[in-house]
Amino acid sequence: MSHSAHRCGTIRNLQNDYTMYARTSRHVNREGCGPKLRKILDIFLSENPVNFGSSHSGKSFAAGLDPEEYSRSLDKAYAVACCFSSASAIRNVLGKLKEADTGISIVVSGLIEEIKKIAEEVGLKPHTVLLSLGVHGRKELLPKEKVLEITTMCGHGLVATPLVEEVAEKVKEGKLTPEQGARFLAQPCPCGIFNLDRCVELLKEQLSEISQEGGEKG
Amino acid sequence: MRIDPEKCTACAQCPDYCPVTCIHEGDGVYFMDEDECVECGVCLRDAGCPTEAIYMPEESNRYPRSIRAAFSDPAVQYPEELFPDLKQGGRGTEEMKTNDVTGNFPRGEFGMTLEFGRPGTGTRLREVEKVTTLLTSLGIRFEGSNALFFLLEEPERGVLKRELRDEKVLSIIVEFTLAEAQLETIVAALFEVLQTVDTVVSWGLVTRFEEDGSLPVTDRLEKLGLTVRPNAKVNMGMGRPIIED
Repeated sequence: MSHSAHRCGTIRNLQNDYTMYARTSRHVNREGCGPKLRKILDIFLSENPVNFGSSHSGKSFAAGLDPEEYSRSLDKAYAVACCFSSASAIRNVLGKLKEADTGISIVVSGLIEEIKKIAEEVGLKPHTVLLSLGVHGRKELLPKEKVLEITTMCGHGLVATPLVEEVAEKVKEGKLTPEQGARFLAQPCPCGIFNLDRCVELLKEQLSEISQEGGEKG
Repeated sequence: MRIDPEKCTACAQCPDYCPVTCIHEGDGVYFMDEDECVECGVCLRDAGCPTEAIYMPEESNRYPRSIRAAFSDPAVQYPEELFPDLKQGGRGTEEMKTNDVTGNFPRGEFGMTLEFGRPGTGTRLREVEKVTTLLTSLGIRFEGSNALFFLLEEPERGVLKRELRDEKVLSIIVEFTLAEAQLETIVAALFEVLQTVDTVVSWGLVTRFEEDGSLPVTDRLEKLGLTVRPNAKVNMGMGRPIIED
């Protein structure tokens, strides 16, 4: 499941978009991993994540997942996913995870150079990377890039293009605030890696582009 | 999924939620194009149908159609009778996420991931076979830890089970390892075949960081015409016991 590997965007608008994934290995450290996953969740929650969850929980924090209920369910889980909006949060979480030394594999998705810099600051040595080499095949089937920047924040592809277009339209018409729009769009993504803060910024960016276009025409 | 025409009030709330846009307006009601539906469950969970007209019919759980939900809905675990010994949801494997403790991708090898139908278009499984048959002809082997393996009739030739070819899923990952020296040959062959697939494919490459933190493969990839995105997924090396080279 490479669900956070192919997020579309620019270096600028990916700057504050990080997902973190704690994943046990079936034949190494999955047996009895519940308490360790709970510890990791506590650390995630201590740094104000934007969102969290996992497919086994069926819904994300943004869709109403209760942190305590979720924590109790982790005995039946094998992973925890979380999403942050700042490099400092990632730095703090990694520092606390290093100290906790749970032995569970931790994966961070984001800008490679930023992650390397944070790893050095915390005293970690990145091990392996999954590089994204872009989209191939019938690219004419894809929606425009601005839509992809939002839909690809759910790596399982559950946030539909028409829903993004509809919400963007409502934001443009003033029927929804960007914040309300982002919360609406986060609902279908159960894993909790849909970054609501980044979605707000992307919706605002679209509004600003529209007003600039209007200004240029005027 | 299906929409009960007796219950549908044509409120038009559900079509926008469908990732593969298969909900259409019909004769005073909305209906699901069930051939295109990938059984991801978004309409059922999130569209908020006011009359609960959307439901999953029994047929959706019968093989071969049951494959659709297994590969499209992350909340659905792979059925054990079809995927013995896999016991997981989602669509992929531990892949590089636990490479610090498994060593599945050692130095001297690359991992490659080709995610068909991503982002957001979905794919018929027959499109996958175009690549799996090519790769096996080049000496690539598929392992039993990947769900794809269980869909193959002849894993050594990359041939899919016949009854699965027309099934449609939101996405499916072809994942394999190759020797570093094979990179140029495999990439050239994939470039050619990916021009013939009737869907989109998100392409990824797994590699170890060098001791100094560099990634020399990026230069090779750029020379081959592949653009490496600035964002990626990084295993931080915090798993224990760590696999040493």
